[in-house]
Amino acid sequence: MASRSSALARPPAFRGIGRSILLTLPIALWSLLMFMPSFQHAGRDRHISALLVILFMTTLFFLMMRTGETYRWRRIFFVAMGFLFPFGFIAALVAERGTMSIPISRMVSGDTPFCFMVTPSLLLPAAFARTIIFPGSILPTASNPHSIAAMIGVWFAMTLILGKAWCSYACFFGGIEEGFAAFPKRRRLHRFITRFGAYLRLIPWAILVFVVLASAALFEPVYCMWLCPFKAVTEFPAVRNVTTAVQMGIFVALFVGLVVVLPYLTKKRTQCGFFCPFGAFQSLFNKINLFEIRFDREKCVDCTLCQTSCPTVALSKESIREGKTLLNCMKCGACVDACKKDAAVWHLKGTPVAVKPERARLLFLYGAWALATMMGGSILANSVATMVHWLPWK
Amino acid sequence: MAALSLSASAGEALVLGLATGPVCLATCGPVVVPWMLVQPQGVRGHGRQLFLFLAARLAGYLVFACAVWLVGSAIPHALPQSWTGRSWLMGGIQLLLAAAMVVYAVGWPHRRCAAAKTADALVQIGETSVPKRSGALALGFLTGINLCPPFLVAGFRAAQLAHLSAALLFFLCFFAGTAIWFFPFLSLGFLKRTPEVIIVARMVAILLACWYGFSGISILIERTFHG
Repeated sequence: MASRSSALARPPAFRGIGRSILLTLPIALWSLLMFMPSFQHAGRDRHISALLVILFMTTLFFLMMRTGETYRWRRIFFVAMGFLFPFGFIAALVAERGTMSIPISRMVSGDTPFCFMVTPSLLLPAAFARTIIFPGSILPTASNPHSIAAMIGVWFAMTLILGKAWCSYACFFGGIEEGFAAFPKRRRLHRFITRFGAYLRLIPWAILVFVVLASAALFEPVYCMWLCPFKAVTEFPAVRNVTTAVQMGIFVALFVGLVVVLPYLTKKRTQCGFFCPFGAFQSLFNKINLFEIRFDREKCVDCTLCQTSCPTVALSKESIREGKTLLNCMKCGACVDACKKDAAVWHLKGTPVAVKPERARLLFLYGAWALATMMGGSILANSVATMVHWLPWK
Repeated sequence: MAALSLSASAGEALVLGLATGPVCLATCGPVVVPWMLVQPQGVRGHGRQLFLFLAARLAGYLVFACAVWLVGSAIPHALPQSWTGRSWLMGGIQLLLAAAMVVYAVGWPHRRCAAAKTADALVQIGETSVPKRSGALALGFLTGINLCPPFLVAGFRAAQLAHLSAALLFFLCFFAGTAIWFFPFLSLGFLKRTPEVIIVARMVAILLACWYGFSGISILIERTFHG
């Protein structure tokens, strides 16, 4: 709705075709470079999937350049990644193990794929006891390429460039709820969100502190063991007793509640905005990140369209009055696209606000889209290759 | 010779406390951090709260030292298997900790605390509790008798000592060794007390109360059904 209204406010073509193609060329070349190995070694499934993903990512970037809108096109990529990630991941698990559950032998041998969500829980045990409290291997192995060192390295490199934009360009879970939030036309529970938003956005911080303290006390990744909604669609400890049954119940309840039902009702990313401790941890990196969204107070008419459009309640009336977003802004671009007065702008720290904002947007998008192609593109390619492999006419 | 043995066991207790301090820190951290964060800003106030917490913790240690020494002579070497009340005690302590977290860290409405005035941006739900001595004392005592792994090791050793005074000295030294690890918590006093920090601390206390409550009930259910 927000992007539709902004489409009405803007001219039909923000930029000419030739100029848009020219600006898209670096991303097209980057995509080719990223998927070059797929063309050199792998089979036909991989070739087809790589080609489709290159086209997909390049076309979306071209449309960003052509229309001047960010949120709508980013959301297509993000939702596709969110929905296709569990598909490819589960298919790989079933092909390898025959089940989604993790057998205890795999945990003992340190063969569990590492997930970036657990990173904050590792800090205290690593600092005090020099122990990684996750049943994965530090370095990649043949059976488990998603090792701890590789995943933390990728996450850290991307976080330095993206800040909290990780949550809207690289997280392979957030797209699921963004997809469910995109379905309904009407926004429900709006009054509740507006009234209690100030409290709701603090919950991820509380969960972060709780998870870090409890993980240090129990010497186990508490979030993975008890609170991760996405265990319901990836992998989970095999249900063998009452404890694991309770854990599974919590995973399913959180997934249905926070990732399906509430996003559908509120049109917000409720898990990301009101629950995810990793998102809160990621917010800290917004302090050192170069890019941000600012508000030109001379143009702003306090219509609060930006606040309504924000999927994670990262704007308050006070913050808009100060010309800033809150710390939990994930730079998805929804507020910029929704603003009819062009008061919400992309901004490069250290430069004057609202002077050449498109330049700041371009710089940010080149970094963000290059990393989205690298991480999300490979996830998409993997899942598409699995689908192509299963095609009945093959 | 007896004095030499006493000083040797005191030294052993001190080293044991120092060595297992990080485990104590991890075990008591979930209780101390939210409690400290709901206090007004300032190292002095935090120092007072930490002193009360540690004093109550020491009292818990000494009570436990007396208890293990008294039962120590009456039981065989395998204490955990023979003492069936251990699970009941652990479950009960966890439930009391859960209740104490809710009552003291979250608190019911009291007179308004200057450091916790709600900002205009936030909706007023309830007033923040004023700093209470009883909170630090109750939480300190309950963590003091909570059966964490280093504490059990010290308990086994104290039960083997010949005199009650030796068991008390052993736990006093063990406490001194572990208490040093708690001083970094004073740095929380430097953290700026915005209304958001206090609300987050109260939320953490609720989450931890749920965790202790769940843990306590699980232990009691397991004890009831599996003996």
